[in-house]
Amino acid sequence: MSSAEKAPGNPLLEALEQRSVIVCVGAGGVGKTTISAALALEAARLGKSALVCTIDPARRLANSLGLDALGNTESQVPEAKWKSAGLTAKAPLFAMMLDMKQSWDELINRYAPPDKRARILENRFYQALSSALAGSQEYISLEKLWELQSGRAYGLIVLDTPPTAHALDFLEAPDRILDFLDNDAAKWLLTPALAAGKLGLQLFNLGGSYVAKTLARFTGGAMLQELATFMLAIGGLNENFRERARAVRGLLAAEETAFVLVTTPNPERMDEAVHFFEVLRAQKMRVAAVVVNRVHSRVLDSDRAAADALPDGLRQKMKTTLDELALLAAQDARALATLAARVSPVALVEVPLFPLDVHDLAGLHASGEYLLGERTVEGSQIEGSQIAP
Amino acid sequence: MAASKGLQNRRLVVVTGKGGVGKSAVTAALATLSARSGKRTLVCEVNTEERIAPLLGHAPVGPEVQELEENLFAVDIRPQESMKEYVLMTVKYERVYKTVFENRLVRYFLRFIPSLQELVLLGKVLHHVREKDAKGQYRFDHVFLDAPATGHAVSFLKVPQVLIDTVPPGPLANDATWMRDLLVDPKVTAAVLVSLPEEMPVNETLELARALATEVKVRPQAVVLNQFTPARFSAAEVLALEKMPSLRARAEDHAGRQKMSTDAARTLAQLGLPLVEVPQLFLPHFDRAAVEAFLPHLLPLWRGE
Repeated sequence: MSSAEKAPGNPLLEALEQRSVIVCVGAGGVGKTTISAALALEAARLGKSALVCTIDPARRLANSLGLDALGNTESQVPEAKWKSAGLTAKAPLFAMMLDMKQSWDELINRYAPPDKRARILENRFYQALSSALAGSQEYISLEKLWELQSGRAYGLIVLDTPPTAHALDFLEAPDRILDFLDNDAAKWLLTPALAAGKLGLQLFNLGGSYVAKTLARFTGGAMLQELATFMLAIGGLNENFRERARAVRGLLAAEETAFVLVTTPNPERMDEAVHFFEVLRAQKMRVAAVVVNRVHSRVLDSDRAAADALPDGLRQKMKTTLDELALLAAQDARALATLAARVSPVALVEVPLFPLDVHDLAGLHASGEYLLGERTVEGSQIEGSQIAP
Repeated sequence: MAASKGLQNRRLVVVTGKGGVGKSAVTAALATLSARSGKRTLVCEVNTEERIAPLLGHAPVGPEVQELEENLFAVDIRPQESMKEYVLMTVKYERVYKTVFENRLVRYFLRFIPSLQELVLLGKVLHHVREKDAKGQYRFDHVFLDAPATGHAVSFLKVPQVLIDTVPPGPLANDATWMRDLLVDPKVTAAVLVSLPEEMPVNETLELARALATEVKVRPQAVVLNQFTPARFSAAEVLALEKMPSLRARAEDHAGRQKMSTDAARTLAQLGLPLVEVPQLFLPHFDRAAVEAFLPHLLPLWRGE
């Protein structure tokens, strides 16, 4: 291919140009929300209208995007925010905060027949589904993504994702939800009640089988009863859900979608990142890049020389500071080298540790410059690794 | 009197905080202090990638309690094994368990019972808190729980109360009751909140402390502010570096981190809890040496000084 002779591009710039959906994934506390917002900001700055869909952003980050109010709808980042940051947008930037519970309720309100809505919304199994069930947060954020993407109102949507304990929770979420809604176990246990179409029956009517009776001793009959109610109420929704869950899953694997895996060089986070990456790969998802956030920049020899020339007290303080930073930078470098080998040929993109939390668009753009390769971390160990072999 | 405030007087210590704040290292350090004071100590992780045993230089322990070193035991509590143990306590017969609970469909169904998995996992932790040997002595003097990350910790610890409120009287409600009683007893249980000097972790710590006190009713005992940056450069010294932009930036970074540390400490002070500042460590690796470096900072919290 002729493109092989071209100078290698920045993988994230390429993704911003070529994809219409970017899903940022990774463990909690690595700065995923900031990276998501920075990617959307850069897209808008370069002329592609963009929406960042965030989950539980830090207050100051939310403020920097003009997201003062909670709510499940998109709002445009005001012109004034760009101006005060000294930046110009060539296309509009939108942001929203995803409210999980509300998104679930909206889904039910859209698909459930009016006479069944209240019964579903009040049911404890529904409440477990919409809040506690593993994968339900992941699912609803993907479902929202699909809805937004179907509207085709944005050149690019960047999805920030919930901190996921297990990588598979995320990718398997659509399947799990389908399983839940259409599970053989419940039907089999509750068939007589379901067939009779009656509610408020005694447990006896829930099959009365040996298995059901033993289970009831353990969970209590009321629990089984409530499950029966839920399955009955939700029965008619399955087809719609099934179709949507399939579409959601399709979107993740689509040509228009790319994943960005975010991590920090912290050794505790590194194993999680590699694991997450392997899961994405096994599921044949397109990973545009692995962003390593909060990297310590290397201590330069010139800094050491300059520190030596300082007066006594200050020299000692500066030397201690540089020694500490050198240790952290060396730790990071080791972690980065390991990570680069494990995710090859996917490129690593380093973003340095900034001394302050992001509190305006300029702060986001500072990260954005590193994401798009306009700047690189001092003494990066992986320069050139952005070239895919 | 001060001594009664120390963690050494609590049988269950729940360590909580946002992911990545150093919760596991703090748990490992507190458990090490306990074991070294001659107390039989168990440290529990719950359904996660094991961190504590590897951090202390041992192989992962898995779902059976194992002795890591003198007086220090560890276990990784997992849903499947705990569910089996729990069910067997109720139905008594292995054969019944096999017929009913190992049925593919039933297993599937159990996953969806709200809170059941959490109850079983928490039940296993609390079982070890009240477990006694043949002589009637507690098997473990102290149990440490490396709790799930923030939001999950609250819903996890709240499970017994939720079940008491929602399930009819029966075996499940009985178990939930003794579990709740252990958790809310300030003579038995204390929570330690781990935080970092950054905006998000600090806010989450404030929220977590409130949720623990009001929703879960587990008593927060102290806040550990990890990766604290102590003061170093004076304003005059930063100014003196004016002609050396690169070094000045280093000094300003340090001063910035220091400011975030004192700001965080001030914000966290509103909780009215003892605050333990653990300075950021500068070690070549994050391993046992890091845990050892935590010990002197956490010792007063353990002893109640």
